[in-house]
Amino acid sequence: MEGLEEKIFTIISNVGTAKGRYVAALNASKKGDISLANQLIKDGDKFLIEGHKIHSKLVQQEASGEGESISLLLIHAEDQFMSAETVKLLVKELIEVYGKINKLGIS
Amino acid sequence: MIHILLACASGMSTSMVVKNMEKAARDKGIEAKIWAVPEVEVENEKDHVDVILLGPQVSFLEDEVKTMVNNKIPVAVIDMMDYGKMNGEAVLNQALELIGGGK
Repeated sequence: MEGLEEKIFTIISNVGTAKGRYVAALNASKKGDISLANQLIKDGDKFLIEGHKIHSKLVQQEASGEGESISLLLIHAEDQFMSAETVKLLVKELIEVYGKINKLGIS
Repeated sequence: MIHILLACASGMSTSMVVKNMEKAARDKGIEAKIWAVPEVEVENEKDHVDVILLGPQVSFLEDEVKTMVNNKIPVAVIDMMDYGKMNGEAVLNQALELIGGGK
């Protein structure tokens, strides 16, 4: 269980950091810095991918019958994951919208 | 007695870090009250704490929390690697450094 806990925490801290970058990207685009916003999305993706790697390994283990027990903590990690992905999706849309607004010169 | 508040999305994962921090504090002979709350609870707890540490999953709230406490209490995000490893001692050290060696 201890090894599993550490994996779960690594998922949480990676996808959480990704979410932080996405929110920072949103703030950057709101201030008009679209290229920084896009860079922050890319940064965030690196962390999301790290989280994804560990998560998919756990899923594969389960699929091959060597799964570990499912804990509330693991569900919580998946919840964080989903939240980061959702935030990314919306932030990417908003960056486009802010980009257009900035070009129009209205705020 | 040092009061360390940890905050994350739901307070669930961070409460496990708290356990490891409490152990580290005992080992160091430091009297500390350490507890974890969901980020929405920070507002209610902020008046009785010496330092606030945020889980990496709520890192984007750092500026908001700093404003909330009028920069009177140190606020920082827990190092991602330390969090991933649930390294209680490292997180405790981070808290102690932030409050300048303790009270």
